Amino acid sequence: MTTVARMAVLDLRTVWPYRYYSLAVFGLGVLVFASRPMWMVPGLVLLFTSQIAPYPFNVADKAGLETLYAVLPLSRRSVLYGHYAWATACFLVTATAGTALALAFARVQAVPLGDRTLVPMLTLSWALFAVNIAIQFPLLVRFGYTRVSVLGTTLPLAAVVGTVYKLQLNMVSIQNWLPLLGAAGVAAIVVSAAVATTVDRRRVRYGRSVSST
Amino acid sequence: MSSDLAFALRGVSAGAGNTFALRDVTFALPTGYVMGLIGANGAGKTTTIRCLLGMYPIDAGEIELLGHRAPEPVALRQDVGVVLDHTYLVGDWRLVEVERTLRPFYNRWDGARYRQLLDEFGLDPRAKVKDLSRGMAMKLMIAVALSHQARLLILDEPTSGLDPVSRDELIGIVGDFLLDEGHSVLFSTHITSDLDRIGDYLTILHGGRVVRTGTKDEILEAYRVVRGGPDDLDDRVGVELIGVRRTQTGAQALVRTEEADLLSGDVLVEPPTLEEIAVHIGARVPHRDPDHRADRRQPDSSMSARRVA
Amino acid sequence: MRVVLSNSAGLPLYQQVKEQLGTAILSGELGEGTVLPSVRALARDLRISVITTTRAYAELAAEGFIATVPGKGAFVLPLDSALVREQLLREVEGGLQAALDAARRAGLHREDLIQILDGLIQAEQYDAIQ
Repeated sequence: MTTVARMAVLDLRTVWPYRYYSLAVFGLGVLVFASRPMWMVPGLVLLFTSQIAPYPFNVADKAGLETLYAVLPLSRRSVLYGHYAWATACFLVTATAGTALALAFARVQAVPLGDRTLVPMLTLSWALFAVNIAIQFPLLVRFGYTRVSVLGTTLPLAAVVGTVYKLQLNMVSIQNWLPLLGAAGVAAIVVSAAVATTVDRRRVRYGRSVSST
Repeated sequence: MSSDLAFALRGVSAGAGNTFALRDVTFALPTGYVMGLIGANGAGKTTTIRCLLGMYPIDAGEIELLGHRAPEPVALRQDVGVVLDHTYLVGDWRLVEVERTLRPFYNRWDGARYRQLLDEFGLDPRAKVKDLSRGMAMKLMIAVALSHQARLLILDEPTSGLDPVSRDELIGIVGDFLLDEGHSVLFSTHITSDLDRIGDYLTILHGGRVVRTGTKDEILEAYRVVRGGPDDLDDRVGVELIGVRRTQTGAQALVRTEEADLLSGDVLVEPPTLEEIAVHIGARVPHRDPDHRADRRQPDSSMSARRVA
Repeated sequence: MRVVLSNSAGLPLYQQVKEQLGTAILSGELGEGTVLPSVRALARDLRISVITTTRAYAELAAEGFIATVPGKGAFVLPLDSALVREQLLREVEGGLQAALDAARRAGLHREDLIQILDGLIQAEQYDAIQ
């Protein structure tokens, strides 16, 4: 297991004591979109995953985990990339569970739900999620959760959703853009990770008079 | 690169412009011993430790940790255990979860040892981190450090706020840790009685500078405490009176041993206790301007990286 | 093995350790070949610094009481009669000097001192017969 993966698992364990609350939010999301299975995945991603992905930053701020990260044999890069890996894992789990639930609910309601709807929805969810994280995480890394606060974690989300809404997307129109959307999401995260390592307030810089090993 | 030093700081300056800046800090610890880092609150002990661990940027000088020049390879942290005056774990983790969480990061994690230490320290594995008292939390962090077979233990004010029993237990733990001559300990505290007996080396910090560093015996030998009547100790004598305290009935100060003979009159000259050294040095007004004239001397450094025996 | 340290003895800790071990060796309590705890184990047990015990052992080794083997620890050497004699002579001299100082303060003369010494020797012989 690579260090980045270990860091993602550390993020999981960081939020693990609060899993019941998170599951409750997930359950709520499922209820809300039960009657609209087509929107299950994007809905869950925006309501649930966007909250749980930055959650480790919240706990870390309060518990002083930045010290733990500095004490563990863990490079600063691994810590940051690990946060992104955790977020991505959260998306994958939500997307998988959400799709399964959407299909189940659709079946029960005898509503058609096929690839032509699911795939664009998944891709769209990914793009929205990735852009949201891409904006959010460097802010969290730079300023810490307490200073960025709820506002910082939901504003990017609102901005992204608002933009999408303004663009009046419908599923047919975005069919051609799917690969681009998928790639854009990945690119957003990669760029964001690079930005995060640059603005990282915890990175120790040594003065010029110190010779490097 | 000398591998017989647990760590070394050479001319380290950090945090220029901050309240807790370090200026030209130089001291080192040979492997196998415990060094006490003494100083009042704000003297720079925590800043020094953070610089040593690479958690704080330095502006000048060099740092060496377990034989590696800074910036050290991240893998070096396998060998370093850090105990602070607060836990840096999630409060809602149970002690068994702490092990599950930290184990994957350490090559030499000994689970059996962790459980045994919890037992020895009287810690309930099912308890949550946030439910531990200060003393128990400190012992937990030590259990973690010992479980991953750290070679260097860094303790930042581990005994502040602890009852005497817990403090005594910690001294015992440090003694056990040092049974292995490859193990070293840095112990920062403002409670000098912790180090009275078990301290091998000491570094005294004041105002971000090293006042003196060396073996405990050297340092105790370097000063004398002088006591006299209210008029017996005054500045005309030409002897630097360190942290002089005057009352209606008398005056007391610390002086360097070599200057003690210059004092005339009816003064009582005695070897100091560690506490007296710390108190009088700590009572001086720290000089932070670079061209201060009153404090003429360079930081005394009777420290050399020599081995004993 | 018995080492009891005093906070108020006025004697440095290393010297207390050294003297107590030295006495035990001279009296035969710690016989030839007895393995002593390592400097670190002793430091741990007595809750004093490693440098202190190391210094005590170093001085005992220099005076020929013990030998230290790197990696194995220390053990008691056979009592060298010349060494023992030298140590004991030092003790006699020290004791007599202390008696002299006290006698001077009390205003006693040489004859008084000798009288006291004879009295003590006689008392010992008396106890030995009993």
